[in-house]
Amino acid sequence: MKKVMVIVPFAMGEDDLARRKTQLDAVDLGPGLEFHFKPVRVGPKNYSSQHDMALADFSILDAGLDAEKDGFDAICIDTMSDSGMAMLRSVLTIPVIAPGRHSMLLAQMLGEKFSILMMWDRWKMLYTKTLGELGMEHKCASMRSIGITPDNKTLLSGKEDEVFPLLLAAAKTCVEQDGAQVLILGSTTMHEAHAWLSARIGVPVINPGPLTYQLASIALDLNLTHSKRTWPAPLAPKHDMIRAIGAAGAAFLEGRS
Amino acid sequence: MTRILVIVPFALDEEGIKNREAQSRYVPLPQDWQLVYRPVTCGPTSFMSPHDWGLMDLAIFEAGCEAEAQGFDAVCIDTMSDSGMVMLRSVLSIPVIGAGKASMLYALTLGSKFSVLAQWEPALPRYRKAIREYGFDRQCASVRSFDQPPDFSNLLGGKEDQVFPRMRDVAMRCIEDDGADVICLGSTTMHQAGEYLAAHLPVPVVNPGPLTYKLVETFLALGLRHGRDVYPAPVEPRLEMLHAMMAAGARAEQ
Repeated sequence: MKKVMVIVPFAMGEDDLARRKTQLDAVDLGPGLEFHFKPVRVGPKNYSSQHDMALADFSILDAGLDAEKDGFDAICIDTMSDSGMAMLRSVLTIPVIAPGRHSMLLAQMLGEKFSILMMWDRWKMLYTKTLGELGMEHKCASMRSIGITPDNKTLLSGKEDEVFPLLLAAAKTCVEQDGAQVLILGSTTMHEAHAWLSARIGVPVINPGPLTYQLASIALDLNLTHSKRTWPAPLAPKHDMIRAIGAAGAAFLEGRS
Repeated sequence: MTRILVIVPFALDEEGIKNREAQSRYVPLPQDWQLVYRPVTCGPTSFMSPHDWGLMDLAIFEAGCEAEAQGFDAVCIDTMSDSGMVMLRSVLSIPVIGAGKASMLYALTLGSKFSVLAQWEPALPRYRKAIREYGFDRQCASVRSFDQPPDFSNLLGGKEDQVFPRMRDVAMRCIEDDGADVICLGSTTMHQAGEYLAAHLPVPVVNPGPLTYKLVETFLALGLRHGRDVYPAPVEPRLEMLHAMMAAGARAEQ
């Protein structure tokens, strides 16, 4: 049995975590893989500015730092921002799969140009960063938002009637006006809309969270992991310092609540 | 039962097909999967000139164009050239995966720059053309050859001691001189060298054939397939004509 850690980028209780876990229902990975969802213990309230992204990177590094030592075979990061991926890849040799980079690359196996559907405009910076790193700005037809503030705990539940039609309208604009041949859901928190939207839009729609689970399975089956030349190990690892920073942040949040 | 059609781009005999089939041993595949390796009816015997490329497009197109009606769930094209892929996508709604574009994109999940290890010098222009057309110039560190004339039937069999170390040396130049973070084997015919290179190189090595099987598994699991507006169906399909043409080509070869 191989174990995959799914790092959830916000601190949350069991009920909210269960909504994240339902992403697993989208795929059947067989009995050989076991997924463990682990929320971070520290981090930003949401992903709304560069301030948040710095905290997000750290929080995910902190959550995954000991994954290899603790017997995990791979990590999936449950956010399209790919926060923490580069840092974790530099300190781990197990596959670390993040949905942003991977869904943009997979989209190009299905068509030439893709659009990204997002809840609000504040997420644009997340995708711009990854597109820049990949050097693939020319492959992105557009990024369109529906102007709804996301809720990273309750996700879309209770808001289906309001949100789903807006997503469909934005998706149509991406396809008809912007030339998108593939759509990517801009957040793993939008997974509840995937089946509904896919059935109505007529182009492939990538559901980024479940995609990462499949890709973890591929990496393990093919015995492949990231290149250390792209993500080199530090000369002086500071694992103890990282753990101390994480613990202090968690204690701060605990004391505030 | 999930049936996958693997199109072998040359009109090979049984022995040649067996060498291709061996690729499926490198990866665990679901129990109920059946991989059916099918050679083309007729086609080129070399792969280094536009003459060959055009014929191979037609050959692979013909070999796979009825796959959906024949009950296959997906098609893998067993060549890094992706020959026939776009034509097949225009007539099929099941996933169609070529090894070329997919392995370069997959390489970029593992590192920021890849190099392609090519068989010999005459193969280089085709890779450079594909990389430019896919828009991956910025992500490709280099394409280098290890200067061994290809054998599309026996592959690298019997030449391991002589060829594998040379492949490793050329791959090291890709890494050290050109800045490659990932090595893509330039052909599905190099699959026998995959494990050796993975063990002897400091970067990940993508073995394109087995990768396509796993990608098909992913696409089927997630219900993803190419968008048909990118690959629209023909106004008037002429697949019967295509079959007749290639059958005549095969007869001419006998």
